[in-house]
Parts: sequence; structure tokens; C-alpha cells
Amino acid sequence: MNDRLTEMSDVRAMLIESATRLFADQVDAKMLAAAKQEGWSAPLWKIVEAAQLPLVSIAEDAGGAGGSLSDLAAVLRIAGRFAAPIPLAETAIAGWLLAGAGLKIPAGPLTIAPVHGETITARKDGARWKLSGAIKRVPWARIAGHIVVLAAGPDGALVACVDATQCKITAGRNLAHEPRDDVVLDDVAVASGLAAPAADGANLSTLRARGALARALLMAGALERALELAVRYATERSQFGRKIGQFQAIQQELARFAGEVAAAVAAALSAAGALERGENAALAVAAAKIRTAQAAHAGALIAHQVHGAIGVTDEYALHHSTLRLWAWREEFGNEAAWAMELGRAIAAGGAERLWPALTRD
Amino acid sequence: MFDQVDFSALELPAAARKLQQEVREFVRTELAALDFKPRLGHTEFHPEFTRRVAARGWIGMTWPKRYGGQERSYLERFVMTEEMLAVAAPCAAHWFGDRQTGPSLLRYGTEEQKQRFLPAIAHGECYFALGMSEPNAGSDLAAVKTRAERVANGWRVTGQKVWTSWAHKAHAFFVLCRTAPDGGNRHEGLSQLIVELDAPGVTIRPIRFMNGHHGFNEVFLDNVFVPDEMVVGEVGQGWKQVTSELALERSGPERYMTTFPLFTELVRRLGNAPDARAAEALGSLAARLWSLRRMSLAIAMTLDPGPDSEKGTPGITPGGGAPAATVDLATEAALVKDMGTFYEREIIDAARLLCAVEPTPEATDTFEHYLAETIVCAPVATIRGGTTEVLRSLIARKLLGPLK
Repeated sequence: MNDRLTEMSDVRAMLIESATRLFADQVDAKMLAAAKQEGWSAPLWKIVEAAQLPLVSIAEDAGGAGGSLSDLAAVLRIAGRFAAPIPLAETAIAGWLLAGAGLKIPAGPLTIAPVHGETITARKDGARWKLSGAIKRVPWARIAGHIVVLAAGPDGALVACVDATQCKITAGRNLAHEPRDDVVLDDVAVASGLAAPAADGANLSTLRARGALARALLMAGALERALELAVRYATERSQFGRKIGQFQAIQQELARFAGEVAAAVAAALSAAGALERGENAALAVAAAKIRTAQAAHAGALIAHQVHGAIGVTDEYALHHSTLRLWAWREEFGNEAAWAMELGRAIAAGGAERLWPALTRD
Repeated sequence: MFDQVDFSALELPAAARKLQQEVREFVRTELAALDFKPRLGHTEFHPEFTRRVAARGWIGMTWPKRYGGQERSYLERFVMTEEMLAVAAPCAAHWFGDRQTGPSLLRYGTEEQKQRFLPAIAHGECYFALGMSEPNAGSDLAAVKTRAERVANGWRVTGQKVWTSWAHKAHAFFVLCRTAPDGGNRHEGLSQLIVELDAPGVTIRPIRFMNGHHGFNEVFLDNVFVPDEMVVGEVGQGWKQVTSELALERSGPERYMTTFPLFTELVRRLGNAPDARAAEALGSLAARLWSLRRMSLAIAMTLDPGPDSEKGTPGITPGGGAPAATVDLATEAALVKDMGTFYEREIIDAARLLCAVEPTPEATDTFEHYLAETIVCAPVATIRGGTTEVLRSLIARKLLGPLK
């Protein structure tokens, strides 16, 4: 009976297997080095898009693959594990905004804005919309074909699919050299067919939550990779005449690391399930971002400590994971911001509501 | 770790949710009716409460009905247990019988042992203790020196057990002892015997905790006769029997929830508009507990024997021996215990640092008396049931494999 509840469904297991194979085959040191220079990997994007992974959780009639949010979660975890240098999460979230608003999802890489709660105003100009606003550090803006914007219109929130070439984009990057660009919309025109009222439940707060959940899932994967590398290194590297993994001091740190990784994976995937079922999602998403960011903090440092001086070099693979962990934990709210928010909600609920809130699965 | 678990699909089935509400209501009314003042750190021994829990069918609830059980899922037991822990309900009298002795008897016991002990445990009338640790066998359990010598119709047992919780109130205890000399493989020649605590030759002396609390004991066994009928499982297989159920013992909610009532009181004390520092601490504590619970829940669900199981003990095939499930979650369980026991201390530290109370054993306020008790008991959780260091070595062995 419980097999159905806890073990992978066959469909998801197949998705995980094929996505893992795809990223394992495609992402290598050369690609990651090139992506550092170019900001992303266009060849990888083509393959991943052809495999329908970015829109895996979007309904088929809206142009997606018809899977669930948990399917997307599984894919993001794998993308994080391989440090895939493409806007997979952002395209998925943009797809959610567009599909919810009944808009067509364009091909190519997409991103979302705003990601820091800035206001983008939309005003009607004849049959068109005109959008204005300045937005900080939009992920992947300079390589995205369209920026899917959640704007403040005269009658409420509006989703608009903005041609990225119409925006003024100033390149920036995060610690892992992923594009994080400032974007200015100066009365950018959007045809009426490319904008529509946002779906119920699509607002700045839920947009931020989706972003945070995506980062939690990516971090869970990146932590898994960092642990794999650290474990492998401990079994290969010898000092003082034996494998360093034979030293209890190293073993204890690796065990602690494994705990952090397990907690991160559990939290991130559980939150995706909660959001999919619509149950206790606010607490679950907050908890996932908090716990994965905490794990990123502890895990990245243990990974480097186990590797010694080897791990800090540009030619060794570990930094692809750890630089991303240090970048992603800050994006869409770091663990302190989410913890304050969650803590205030708990306090407002009062002591007697604490336990029921934590156990509403 | 957790390779077979799909966390996104993990949710409580309807039966477990219903039980959750029933137990929540039960503890609210019963604890008020018993005029019980909860304590933290040491679970309280309360025979009357145990009888009332038994009356609801919540002791041995996963066991077969013919042995006094309810044939409910392991997940339902998980839910029942966490509800008890959330309010520090006094479960000590039935704790070991429900969690350890019962499942061991179901798996290894004779029909006669099952009929004699299981219904009595389930009815809240028979309390068990565990006789594992000895003065020179702590983390290194295979070093036990208590020995049993073969005599007509049974064994004569001599030795000393320590840290035996509630031996002074329990009826019997499981004794891990050496029935054959150490012939090189220390894990061979160990057996489990049931020793009744009022048998001639048994002497029980209190070991007081540093705050004066009496829960631990040392138990001296001087030539105690144990009839053959009280041998659990096979003579010489004691090590395998003792270690086989560690996944359950280590992954349960008792490994991260023993200080939870202090968290509840901390929320109460901080009020509905905490400052940023307090809010951040509350949020972090909640996130960490929620994550731990998801892991613990995953283990409970994966090990659940399901309604078709004959044995009512997790992961075991009716034929005995080999586990029904191919998953071995011992490492995951060790992770939960390791992280969970450290988490319990985070609650204590948050409470102290945010509220700046000088702790005193005389505290009458609930928050303050929980705080005083948990500070003093804080060292225990990372020692009992496998020390942090032993657990981490076990986890690392799984991660690294054999190293040469």
C-alpha cells in the first residue's frame, strides 16, 4: 500500500532517469567553463528545451508537457546537481505566469520580473499596454528572449510577455557568473495579445515563493553534487600513508554533511509536494528555503575543508557547485528573511497553533 | 540517502489524520483530568495515564489483534507518538514495551512469550525495561560481560547492568548477555533473555541524575535463574536481534521532539509581535523541525509493514528473518537521530538567549521550569541510543564504503 505513497511513481522514475542521463551526457567541465564566459550554454538549452524539461509542469493545452509541480521539482534538483547553466527554473515560473493568464508561451529561454518586489506599472495605450519600471538583478535577462513581467495595471495585476530587446539591460552576474542583470522598462509597448490579467494566486508574494522554492530545489541538487565530490575525494586522496576518509575527523564531517544534504533534499521536495497539493504551502516553502540555505552554508564549507587546497581551484569541479550555493541561498530571500517572515506568522498564530501548523501535511 | 523516497508525494493518509485529531483531543482532556504537571527531559512514569492510553488501543497498536494489538499502520503509531511528545505526556511506563520489547517479541519470541507478554503490555499492565548497557559496555555494546551459564531447564545469569531506565518500576527487562565465551567474533555468543525484576538474585539500586531525578538504575544479577522459556529468539543470535530494529529506535519523533513543549512555551512567552531577532529564531526552529519530521515520516512510511502484514512489525516478512522491503534505512535513521538530538538543543538555546531567565529548579512558570529541566538534561540525548560519534562513524562507513 505504502509503496504508492513513498516510492517513486514509474513515470517520475523514468523522468528522473532520462533527465539525469541528459545532464550527465551534456554538462562537462568545458561547457561550464564556457558558460562562465558567455553567461550560459545555448547548446544545452536547445537540448533541454527539445526534451520539454522547462515546461514539464505546464498543462499540455497551454504548451507544456502536462506533468506536475513535483515533476518539475525532480528536474530542478537534477539541474542543480549538474550546475546546468540555463534558465530552467525561470522559464518554468514564467510558463506558470503565462499559462495562468491564458497567454501563449513563446519558445526559447524566458525569465521573470520583478524578483525583488519592485513595481512595474502598466498603462493602457490604445490597443497596447505600456510598461515602465526599473528592476534589479533579473536572472538571465540578457540571454532571455522574453521577460515575463508581473505588472501593476489599472485593474490589478497584469502578466505581460515583454520582448527582452525592448528593455535596457545592464549586465551583472552572481558569484557563479550566472547573469543577474538590471533591467529598465521605459514605456515598453506590449501588444494586447501578449498581456492579460494575472491568475488568482499569482502575485508578487507567490512569485517570490516560487522563485525561492526553485532555488531550494537547485540548492538541494548542488549539495548532492558537492557531497559526491567530497566523498569521492576522501576515498582517493592519501595523506600520512592512508586514505583521508579513514580519519575519523574527516568521517565525522562527511556524516554531518550527509545529514545537511538529506535535510535539504527532504525539505525542498516536500515543499514542492505541499505547493502542488495546496496544503500548508506557505510554511513549507519558507521552511524549504531556510533549511536548504542553512545546509548550503554548512555543506559548502565542509566540502571545501575535505578537499583541502585542491577544491578551491578554478580547474577542479567543486566550485561550480559551491559558488552556486553561495549565490542561490541569497536569491528570492535568504534564510534570515524567510525565517523572520515565518517566525512572525508563527507568533501571530500563537502558541497553541504552533504544533497544528507544523503537522498539517 | 533516502534514495527510494519520494518526498514530494509523502503525505499522511486519511486514517492517520483522523487519529491525529483523536490523540490531540485525548491528551488535552486526559492531562487536565489527571491534574498532571508535565516535565521535560525525563519522561514521566504514570501507570494511570498508561492505562488510559491502553484503553484507547494505542499501546502496541501495530500488533496483531490476537496479541492485543489493533493492526494499525506504523504511520498511525508515528502520529500517536508525536502527539504524546508534543505535550510531554507521561509515557514512560509503556514506552519500551511499546517501542522495543513488543516488536522484538513479535519478531523473535515464542508463541508462549507472545501470549504471555504482548496483551499485558498492550493493556498497560506489564512494563518492560532494557538491560543493555554495562559499566564497561556503553557505545561498545558487544563488550557486555553479563554471562549466562547453562543449567537444567534454563540459565543462571550473573552480571551488572547500568542506566536501566525505570527498572525499579518495571516488571521485567530484556537482558543482553553472553551465553558463550568470546571466541574471536565478539558478535557471536550473545543472547537476549527476559529477566523478571522481582526474581531472586536481582538487586536494583538507583542512579540519580544530576538534578536528583530517579529514572536510571543499576541492576545487579547474582546467579539469577532464567527458565528456557524466557530466552528470546535463538541462543547466540542476540547481537543480530538487538541491532535489527535500530532504524525504528533511532528515527522516531522522540529523537527530535523531547524539548518541543519548550518551543511552544517560547512562542507563548514571546507574544504575537516578536522583534526581528526573536522572529528569525522562531522561523528557523520551525523550519528545522518541519524538515526533520519529513525525514522521520519518510522512514516510518517506508518501514511500514502495511495492513497485510501478519507480524505487525516493520519491514519483516511473515517467515521471519529477511526484511520484506529491500530498503535498509539504518543510515537514514542514524542521520535523523544525529540531527534531531542537536535540534533539541537549539530550542533550549533559543529559549535561553531570547528570554534571559536565570534558570532555577524551583521555577513554577511552565516556560521557566521547562527551561531549567531541559538545560540539565541536554547532554543525554546525544549519548543514549547511539552517541553522536558512533552514529557519524556508521553514516561515514555507508558513504565511503570499504577503504583500503
